[in-house]
Amino acid sequence: MFDRRRMMQFSAAGVGTLAASGWMNVLADAAKSSPAKATGKVKNVILLWMDGGPSHKDTFDLKPESKGAGEFRPIKTSASGIEISEHFAKLATWMNHGTLVRGMTSPEGAHARAKYNLHTGYREGAGGVTYPSLGSIVAMEKGRSETPVPNFVSIGNRSFGSGFIGPKYSPLIITDAGRGLEDLKSVAAAKAQTNRLDLLEQMEKAFFHDYQAGVITDHSTAYARAVALMNSKEAKAFDITQESAAAKGKYGTGRFADSVLMARRLVEIGVPFVEVALGGWDTHQDNFTKVKALSQQVDAAMSALLEDLKERGLLDSTLVVWMGEFGRTPNINTRGEKPGRDHYPKAWSLAMFGAGQRGAVIGKTDKEGATVVDRPVPPQDFLGTVCDLVGIDHTKKNDTPNGRPISIVEKAKPFTAEIL
Amino acid sequence: MRSYRVIALILFSAAAVGLSRPTWAVADDAKTKAAQKFELRKKLKEAADAKRKAESAQPAKATQPVEAAKPVDTKPAVKLPAVLTPAALAKFIDQQIDARLKAESIPASERTTDAEFLRRVSLDLTGTIPTGDEAKAFLDSTASDKRERLVATLLASPNYGRHLADLWTTKLFPRDSDNRFVLKDPLRDWFAAEFNKNASWAEMTTKLLSTTGDVETNPEVTFFLANRTIDKLTDAVGTHFLGQSVACAQCHNHPFTTVKQTEYWELAGFFSKVVADRPRNVNKGGDNNKIGVKEGFGPSKAKDFFPEAAIKTSPKFLGEATPKFADREPYRPALAAWVAGPNNPYFAKAMANRTWALLFGRGLVEAVDDMKDSEDASHPELLDALALQFAANKFNLKDLYEAILLSEAYQRSSKPLPSNAKDDELYSHNRVKVMLPEQLYDSLQVLNATALAALPPAKGKGEPKAKPAPMRGGGNQRDQFVTFFLAGSETANQAEYEAGIPQALKLMNSKANLANFPNAFRAFFKPNVKPADAIEAMYLSVLSRRPTADESTRLLAYLDANGRDSAADILWALSNSSEFMLIR
Repeated sequence: MFDRRRMMQFSAAGVGTLAASGWMNVLADAAKSSPAKATGKVKNVILLWMDGGPSHKDTFDLKPESKGAGEFRPIKTSASGIEISEHFAKLATWMNHGTLVRGMTSPEGAHARAKYNLHTGYREGAGGVTYPSLGSIVAMEKGRSETPVPNFVSIGNRSFGSGFIGPKYSPLIITDAGRGLEDLKSVAAAKAQTNRLDLLEQMEKAFFHDYQAGVITDHSTAYARAVALMNSKEAKAFDITQESAAAKGKYGTGRFADSVLMARRLVEIGVPFVEVALGGWDTHQDNFTKVKALSQQVDAAMSALLEDLKERGLLDSTLVVWMGEFGRTPNINTRGEKPGRDHYPKAWSLAMFGAGQRGAVIGKTDKEGATVVDRPVPPQDFLGTVCDLVGIDHTKKNDTPNGRPISIVEKAKPFTAEIL
Repeated sequence: MRSYRVIALILFSAAAVGLSRPTWAVADDAKTKAAQKFELRKKLKEAADAKRKAESAQPAKATQPVEAAKPVDTKPAVKLPAVLTPAALAKFIDQQIDARLKAESIPASERTTDAEFLRRVSLDLTGTIPTGDEAKAFLDSTASDKRERLVATLLASPNYGRHLADLWTTKLFPRDSDNRFVLKDPLRDWFAAEFNKNASWAEMTTKLLSTTGDVETNPEVTFFLANRTIDKLTDAVGTHFLGQSVACAQCHNHPFTTVKQTEYWELAGFFSKVVADRPRNVNKGGDNNKIGVKEGFGPSKAKDFFPEAAIKTSPKFLGEATPKFADREPYRPALAAWVAGPNNPYFAKAMANRTWALLFGRGLVEAVDDMKDSEDASHPELLDALALQFAANKFNLKDLYEAILLSEAYQRSSKPLPSNAKDDELYSHNRVKVMLPEQLYDSLQVLNATALAALPPAKGKGEPKAKPAPMRGGGNQRDQFVTFFLAGSETANQAEYEAGIPQALKLMNSKANLANFPNAFRAFFKPNVKPADAIEAMYLSVLSRRPTADESTRLLAYLDANGRDSAADILWALSNSSEFMLIR
């Protein structure tokens, strides 16, 4: 049962008519039969993943009067009544194009399981199924079928994969944006390269014929996608050295800045989902020094991104999400000289910009930032909202390899109408 | 398979309520089989029942210690079976596997060809492909016991220990920025040496858990240096040595496991007096060979050793009695004795299952780090028997390997039949496994070395270099390659292909693959060599087999049409094929 599915995925590996090689033609034929794509106003999503779980009380839900108040002061933003951390001074000017979700509440308090939960909407291990992450779902539902650049790119992070919907929708992972995508140039001349691919294709077919394992298809798929990319002009979107010093400089310096810049270049060529990770938010110790430095990185890169998107007319068709896997304890712990905050999934915040949003707040925590007192938002409601915005029917069911239908998001109550 | 589970459960329950209480009879007669209900299963079940009873009597509260009465304080030692020879245990494995296949009317695939077997067992045991010469010698050997001899040779190879050392270092040394100054190689070298001398797994575990001293004299202290909080240590013991994921119980009573929050912290209590030195900044002249671990006389004062939510409580074994300690007596030796003791219901089973999983690409319980009860096993009796044999044989890992490797189940082809293609659990055919990054790197190095040895030396300046550059710096370059292929993931999964586009690009176009050097093919295709022999040499070196008649004909025609230098294309295609990169 696996094998037929895998074989179909192999055939539909998501690349167009790019080379004369028979290999490519196999792939192109099936691509033509891709289903019609849903249409939403929003065409792209950039997920800025704050790895480790940022402290909501020190970023977007400050409680200066509370017992466990942080060191930072709140500042006013372009959205009336919304105040955020002083270390988001530039971002504050974009708040009228955003939404703060202050009612996030989720079930997992350990990093790995929480990341899985927030990326997929499901709990790890539930039902014995490996669920697809949001990026893979968007790639499947909104992805362009004739494209050499994968529809899901993850920068600086492994992220989560495509699960049961198959390797066609798995992310292209860029570990270091500064170095871009390496080894794109073939070592052989064009004619020899075509011959090589033909030889390889024959070997792959023969091996699959005998052994029929899904991992063979996965290998062939990765190779086919790599070859498509080598042959494409769009591959230069991965080369941020093509940006001027000024254009680059406003994003800040370092890997995160480079990654966000690359995300913009990818959205410009139509990649529907780009995830960028910024690690370091697991601030059990020395919370305030770390959160301040991280916030400043976010402030520069994210506001530069929003500005560039606006200039290019892409802000309304792009959703930019800032989030991690949970929040952090309302109280400050007692670890050592420089204390911090520990994991806290019960009440936390995320922020979204672009996509026609206009400065709303969803959900509210109590005066300590410890409990959601109004409009709790479980991960499903957030994921359902993202689906709404990009025009994906979140109630749609996809079949697992065993034929079990699984909703894209289960029991979602989106808040889409409240933010547009 | 589901119906079988129901049957197993019924048998299981019957044993638990006392309808049948067989003991572990002497198992040198392989006919002693499924009808026996194993002591270990029964004990597990009893412990689980007692736990459930205690829970229902007194609902657990997340933050309060729960005093559940444990009725297992005075339990008899497990009666261990007589030790079977590896060959006899191999027969037992086959009886168990074949009985299930027969019951489910699923035919088994054929035996592996010599080429399939050679390649699989080389990668599984030593982590690398054989050289072309080794492949040729094995394929041409007419000895009737050549497979047994090969297994013995590979088990004696230093690469056996190195491969296992790679796997265990990955598990016990988290890829974590806290560990950037902790030395990894001493632990890897220690593992390699211990596995190579076939130290008992129980002794190795005992050393790992109770060691004291510095890296230089006792490299196994690295386990503590790379896990410098009490919860990391506790989680590692659960996951890696007992096959039980206890981490969730750190914060709450996990709904799916039987380990409760209090029990978690009781287990953690054994580490409460550990003092692990912090690594020194090497950029400031720190020497991390000199740091180490000791056990103090009271709760550790090491910085950040206890997480905020830690519940400080006296040490207690999972589901068992509270040990009594004299004043100032260290806790860890008692923990090690319990973890690695023959009575521990999890220890032998976890390693037996893990070893099986490495060789078959799937554990008898698929979740090797989170086995829960063995009712999840595809072959519960087999798993129990392997565990008991492993324990009875003083945790002799090479013997366990040998038994599994000599079984027909392991030696079955991974080519499915139309009638067994859907089976993924009963071992009718083997899984095609994905190479771990270390295996891929080492295999590429085997190819590289073959080419280096055969190519003429580089000529003077201005001439193109004839040889691929040797990969320098061993460990460092290997680590970089591994990191690149893991792309941020902690560990690779042998059952899932996770490498993506950047990895494919590297293999297709970079110097990591010798086939990308224009002259590399000349190592196989010297001026006096016939085209057919060159093709054969490339197949033997890259795929450890000879080409089929069809392949040979087709590729000779290709060379004929495209010229001698197009042999480079063949070498490129072979070394980028899934047949090269997968373990068939």
